[in-house]
Amino acid sequence: MIGEESMEYDLKAMDLEIKAIEEETKRLKELGRGFEAVERNADAILAFTYLLKRNVSDIIE
Amino acid sequence: MTRKEESRKYWNPIIETLPPEKLQEIELKRFRELLRWAKDQSPFYKRKLHGIEPEDIRTMEDVAKVPVTEKDELRAAQEGKEPFLYGELLAVPSESLSTFHQTSGTTGKPVYIPDTYESWQWLVEVWCYLLYAAGFRRSDRVFLPFAYNVYIAFWQGHYAAEKIGCEVVPGGALDTKGRIRKMKEVKATALMNTPTYGLHMIEVSREMGIDPKKDLNVKKMICAGEPMPEPTRLRLEEEWGVDVYDHIGGTESGAWAGMCCEKRGMHVMEPHYLFEMVDLETMSKPIPPGMKGVAVITPLCRRCIPLIRFNLKDVMKVMDEPCPCGRASMRVDQIGGRVDDLRKIRGVFFSPSIVEEVIRGQFPEAVEFETILTQEEVMPVLTLRIEFNPSINEGQIKELRFRIRERLKIRSNLTFEIEIVKPGVLPRYTLKSSRFKDLTKR
Repeated sequence: MIGEESMEYDLKAMDLEIKAIEEETKRLKELGRGFEAVERNADAILAFTYLLKRNVSDIIE
Repeated sequence: MTRKEESRKYWNPIIETLPPEKLQEIELKRFRELLRWAKDQSPFYKRKLHGIEPEDIRTMEDVAKVPVTEKDELRAAQEGKEPFLYGELLAVPSESLSTFHQTSGTTGKPVYIPDTYESWQWLVEVWCYLLYAAGFRRSDRVFLPFAYNVYIAFWQGHYAAEKIGCEVVPGGALDTKGRIRKMKEVKATALMNTPTYGLHMIEVSREMGIDPKKDLNVKKMICAGEPMPEPTRLRLEEEWGVDVYDHIGGTESGAWAGMCCEKRGMHVMEPHYLFEMVDLETMSKPIPPGMKGVAVITPLCRRCIPLIRFNLKDVMKVMDEPCPCGRASMRVDQIGGRVDDLRKIRGVFFSPSIVEEVIRGQFPEAVEFETILTQEEVMPVLTLRIEFNPSINEGQIKELRFRIRERLKIRSNLTFEIEIVKPGVLPRYTLKSSRFKDLTKR
């Protein structure tokens, strides 16, 4: 059971976007392997997708 | 007001209003994942969790079968162990670490705690929940009157305030007068400090001819770094004329509970943490709401240095009734001080937090104090050393000495020696205060 607050947010759509960002970022990181400015910034994005998953995706799983 | 507008009182309107059963379901899932990770990646937990199958943990009763982690074990797993500094606790490659903090060392050798960029961001995220619940918003200009050094709380607070969108003014490289001048100059609307330093700033402001209530623009304060009994919080509210919020956290665990606008107990940061209350004697039997117990915590998303069922040694109780703020997470009341500080004196359990409750709650004339436990022949002796406001005269001091002794006796069932010391003699603390000294151990 999920709280009433979730009714006005499309959590499934959000979850899909988060997973897509994660996949794209992993791909970007792979493309920039050895390119510090790309790799490190991709890692930073992945840290935030981890938080988005904890904030959104975990609720609907 | 639409539900979306209403939800702006929450950092995460979904998670913070989930029913307790759903929160627990997420926590148990995360607990299993953490257990698996720790067994696979941390040499310390590989040994400690031998024979425990993460997939078998389905209920809170199953969780209680997992052994509790003590602080001494963390020290032993680090000292002289490889890799350097973090030893057998580390569960990620050293090169992935980005942040260093350490415990204050008040109960022994400090424990070193690292974070990866990911786990650090998670700690900051949890602080966002705390600050948001305490009313911190984008419109705030937050002043931190500290040099944060290697201690975690204010770093987390700094980055979380920044993430929320507040403007953050660090006030580290200034003395107290300089900090007060700076918060006046920039019209800071919010502060983060230890309760002790909050009280000290009042003293210094008055010396400068500044009334924090009238001359400063501060509206709210969140305290960190040391326990804050309710009378101290109320005194800070009264003297500053602001809303004062408390939270609970530590270097090993991160911040795991905080006050909402109702200011009645502290919400556990579920489902980011798994919180348990266990029996003081057995350290395993779960305690029902309303009863005193010892807090045990598991940070569920800090994978670089897993901590499973960490014994916080804090005596607390879980509050039973739902919070009017709408958050469904458990609430705790920090009531009994630390297990480490409990002493049996003349057959009576004594917690030093009692002294703070009495002094801060009933004697606004007191500026600073400390309690000293000594042994004279076979008898333990408790002495309260206390400083009063310089405006208090000899006659008033005589009367105060009598009343303080009497109130302490009523509250603790113990007789105190009262020693009056001159203003400015006792230490002023900016970070963790140390107002209880047990000299019987020497």
